[in-house]
Amino acid sequence: MARTRGIRGMWQTLVFGFLNGALYGMIALGIALVFGIMKYLNVAHGSLIVVGAYASLFLFRLGVDPFATIPVVLIALFLCGAILFLLFFGRLMEFPEGTKIKNSLLIAFGLMLVIDNLATLIWTGDERSMTPSYSGVTFQAFGLRFPLIGLSGAFLALLLISILHLFLSRTYFGKAVRAVSQDHEAASLMGINVSQTFLISFAISVSLASIPSVLIGLQSFSPTAGIQWFNKGIIVVMLSGIGNIYGVFPAGLFLGIIEALSVFFFGATYREVTGLVVFVLILILFPKGLLGSGAES
Amino acid sequence: MKDPKKVFIALCFIVLSALVPLLTKSEYLINLLVMLFLYVIISQSWNLQGGFNGQISLGHSAFFGIGALITRLLWISKVPILLALIGGAVSSILLAGVVGIPCLRMKRGYFPIGTLGLAIIAHITVGNILPVPGSLPSEYIVGYSLPSRYYLALSVAILSVLVVSYVVRSRTGLAFVAIRDDEEAAEAVGIKTFGYKVKALLISSFLAGLGGGVFAYHQVSYYYQSPFELSWSFLPTLTTFIGGLGTILGPIFGSVCFLALNELFAFTLGEVHLVIFGFTFVLIVLFVPGGLMSISQKILSLVKYPGRSGGTATLSS
Repeated sequence: MARTRGIRGMWQTLVFGFLNGALYGMIALGIALVFGIMKYLNVAHGSLIVVGAYASLFLFRLGVDPFATIPVVLIALFLCGAILFLLFFGRLMEFPEGTKIKNSLLIAFGLMLVIDNLATLIWTGDERSMTPSYSGVTFQAFGLRFPLIGLSGAFLALLLISILHLFLSRTYFGKAVRAVSQDHEAASLMGINVSQTFLISFAISVSLASIPSVLIGLQSFSPTAGIQWFNKGIIVVMLSGIGNIYGVFPAGLFLGIIEALSVFFFGATYREVTGLVVFVLILILFPKGLLGSGAES
Repeated sequence: MKDPKKVFIALCFIVLSALVPLLTKSEYLINLLVMLFLYVIISQSWNLQGGFNGQISLGHSAFFGIGALITRLLWISKVPILLALIGGAVSSILLAGVVGIPCLRMKRGYFPIGTLGLAIIAHITVGNILPVPGSLPSEYIVGYSLPSRYYLALSVAILSVLVVSYVVRSRTGLAFVAIRDDEEAAEAVGIKTFGYKVKALLISSFLAGLGGGVFAYHQVSYYYQSPFELSWSFLPTLTTFIGGLGTILGPIFGSVCFLALNELFAFTLGEVHLVIFGFTFVLIVLFVPGGLMSISQKILSLVKYPGRSGGTATLSS
């Protein structure tokens, strides 16, 4: 992409930033959900996204359209999440909040090393990507270019968030999830099966990685890319404020746009740094997040 | 180290290690031991903060890296190596003071993530500013002698063990452990928790910076960003947890295991040792908070006093 100057270049940058931001928002949603509900910091979320991307690539090579692989990847990741919870994360449920964050982070960190290095062993360290026939297609509107894949990704992200919203706000299970996230002891006393709620929430949060999986698969990925994507996610989670699921997507867009602007003004080399600097500043200045109400202490 | 038996064993190890370059000409073995000492240094440094003070840092690669960077730059501009090492360690303390202390102010539980962010920022920034491999000038290569690197690494490793064991036996160390075990209770009995956390961070970053300096002195040529790689943050976390969190011998033992596994799988593609270590790490965090040292101590006590816990002896060993 040639770096275009001037007002039009600026708008174009914003468009790409916006579309990237939708992806960041999706990644962050999975992390935010599990963090908001059960105070687990799943550092391995990025690695699971990469695993999903490999699954999608596998199906793509069999002739399936990348977007059609989403349901399969979603189910596979859901099962992955359930298994990881049953084997490892489920054992942390009883700890106090600080210990939970620390231990879940450590476990996820160990799992991240295992997943990343197993992926390198299985699929080698090469960069991969899926290139369907429409991968370069763009729309022209208002004199700007809109890539088809980015647009569909943003659309899917909005769709999924709406479904998640309806699920959390309209169903009985969603009510249980919200109750458990507020006070799991009280929820348990009211007859909610806390461990089952945790299990399903964790699996859902991992399955949310499926859309980012496919979108990243359509860009490019390698076994060790997980932590970079986790970084984007955690920056967005911090931007939106912990426990504030609805702030996540706007915060993702915000990060995407900030990054795009930094690329526009400072060049691509500091793209990653911009987000992280914002992140550290937020952690220091606004420990409860920018948009967050800071519901919990 | 009041126990004369322990002091004697430690001295034996030190003398044995000091004799290695005289007994063998194998560069492989000596380089391996230098790596081991580096692992021990950074693990001990991490252990002081993570193991004794309970502040899990994923930012040690930044301290290690800045130590390596400054030491190297000072050294190749003709500063004597010992002064350059101190320069590196001081710069590491400065970095910790400027960016690490704000991380300590974060809400509880966010320290690891904040420091991880810093480590990544440092890695990318150094990679952007100094994208070239830093080779030694030719007159340095001519004068390169492996034993001098070996002895420097050995002395810094011994220093790091001594510093950590001295600190944890002092009043400060008691405060560290009190904060780790229950911060609110520590605050309630009048310990200034923030001050002690800063102290742990600064001592730890000093040792990590020294370790980085040793790395810079040992390597002939490396990319300036490579000591900033996140693996230098992950390594001490793994070795300390696996060896035994908050013990002096644990990180040493963990480093030996890590290096051994690393060498065992040196020729396979990908990093099998990290798969094994990652998995062991998860199991240890979940089930054996004392690390491998606590298992071996249990086994030892079973061997010494087989009668004490009868039936389970055969199962656990």
